[in-house]
Amino acid sequence: MATAVEEAQLNQLEIQVDNGGGGAWEYLCLVRKLKARRSDKVLKHGLFILNNPRARSKLGEEEFTLYEQVAFAAMDCRRNDIAKDCIGALFKKFPGSIRVGRLEGMLYEAKGAWSEAEKVYTRLLADSPLDQVILKRKVAMAKAQGNSAAAAEYLNKYLETFMADHDAWRELAELYISIQMYKQAAFCYEELILCQPACPLYHLAYADVLYTMGGLENLQAAKKYYSSTINLTGGKNTRALYGICLCSVAINQLTKGRNKDEKDISDLQSLAAEGLLRDYKERAPKKLSLVTTTLRNIKMVS
Amino acid sequence: MADCRYQISQGAYIKLVLHALKHRSLSVNGLLLGRLIENDGGAAAPAVQISDAVPLSHSQIGILPYLELALIQVEEHFASEGLGVVGYYHANERHDDAELSNAARKIGDHIFRYFPQAALLLLDSKKLQDLPTGKGRDPVVRLFTRDSSRSWRSAGSQGSAQLTTKEPSANAVLLDYISTEKWTEIVDFDDHLDDISKDWLNPNLFK
Repeated sequence: MATAVEEAQLNQLEIQVDNGGGGAWEYLCLVRKLKARRSDKVLKHGLFILNNPRARSKLGEEEFTLYEQVAFAAMDCRRNDIAKDCIGALFKKFPGSIRVGRLEGMLYEAKGAWSEAEKVYTRLLADSPLDQVILKRKVAMAKAQGNSAAAAEYLNKYLETFMADHDAWRELAELYISIQMYKQAAFCYEELILCQPACPLYHLAYADVLYTMGGLENLQAAKKYYSSTINLTGGKNTRALYGICLCSVAINQLTKGRNKDEKDISDLQSLAAEGLLRDYKERAPKKLSLVTTTLRNIKMVS
Repeated sequence: MADCRYQISQGAYIKLVLHALKHRSLSVNGLLLGRLIENDGGAAAPAVQISDAVPLSHSQIGILPYLELALIQVEEHFASEGLGVVGYYHANERHDDAELSNAARKIGDHIFRYFPQAALLLLDSKKLQDLPTGKGRDPVVRLFTRDSSRSWRSAGSQGSAQLTTKEPSANAVLLDYISTEKWTEIVDFDDHLDDISKDWLNPNLFK
């Protein structure tokens, strides 16, 4: 994930390159470094360098990095013809390379030729059965064909080996949410919180899933995790502040006010509501009256 | 309910398509605002006028809390203009997926409970793709409706309930917006929660 500063730098460079101010190669390097997805721009500027023999030869060995980058961008923009040329150039230079083999498989994927892609991946996996990228491609392929259950199965198998891959756990959680398997999604977030207890995003996502599942126990747990999100972000997370309010309302509806910890709870919810109103007053005054009214309607502020 | 007519304003229509275009690789959804025009004993069939759209989410559509929150705030805001939530729109993650997902049905069901003539619009990626070459006036979304005994059904199949755009030029204007990459400016409720200074009403989009 790029920071705001890096993103601003990238945007500035993009404008410069778009307006013919030079710096195309620097721009392409930054895109790679930040793992940004700006395929249309990468394709345009990358192709310009590749089609210009002088600019291309200046890159030296980096030339092939660019071929790879443009191949990815071309597939993203449905320019499979360009991708094919790039991959051809790479094959010539690196025959038998697994990295180029992956690109070949992805080109089949881009064409929707699933069984050919599968064949390429199976062949590559026979040589290196623990290639993470290829194992992930298989997940992506199942997803692209609309088969969420198979995608989840592949991901689970992958995670048995690569338990520390946070992004994979997150992907699995989101996959489960998309097919309304909330209990399984919650498990993934529990795993992530155990791995990285100080990351507020996972606390928030876990709370969201608990709230969605509903029921008194889940709602109370959701409230705790919204609270820890607030704690970890120094009160800067709007979603968590709203989350506290929504949980309080839902819990009140279930218990009809009969709750032994009522005092703490009402303190927490009014603090959250006050925090929200303060933020809106400062940063979005146009919405302040709407938020005040809605919070009043659900009895979060008097 | 079967012979209810549906009419969507150009503004609402363009907003929902641009929202989907901004997040091409994700599912997006949003709310449709409008009112029901009853046939005061006359011959005309009742009509649902969709006059505005509020883009909601481009991530985690199966998650409840922010959907509830958005419904509360959007209803409150539009009540003062005499408009209510009359439907829901959805665009699928995959280009070749033309099915109404489970999540979309469930959200639709919720709105249906409060507004029985609710419209559920699903973006038709194929029609959208053909838009630049075609001259059709048909909106690039598919309309689904339901009544209490049936589940959501594509309206085209029985040809009774129809969706039209209020302004006949809507597709031409939409193309113009697409060619100037207007979609980058669309703000949804998700963006608002990330940065509350962004306004989900998109007040400057058509300026």
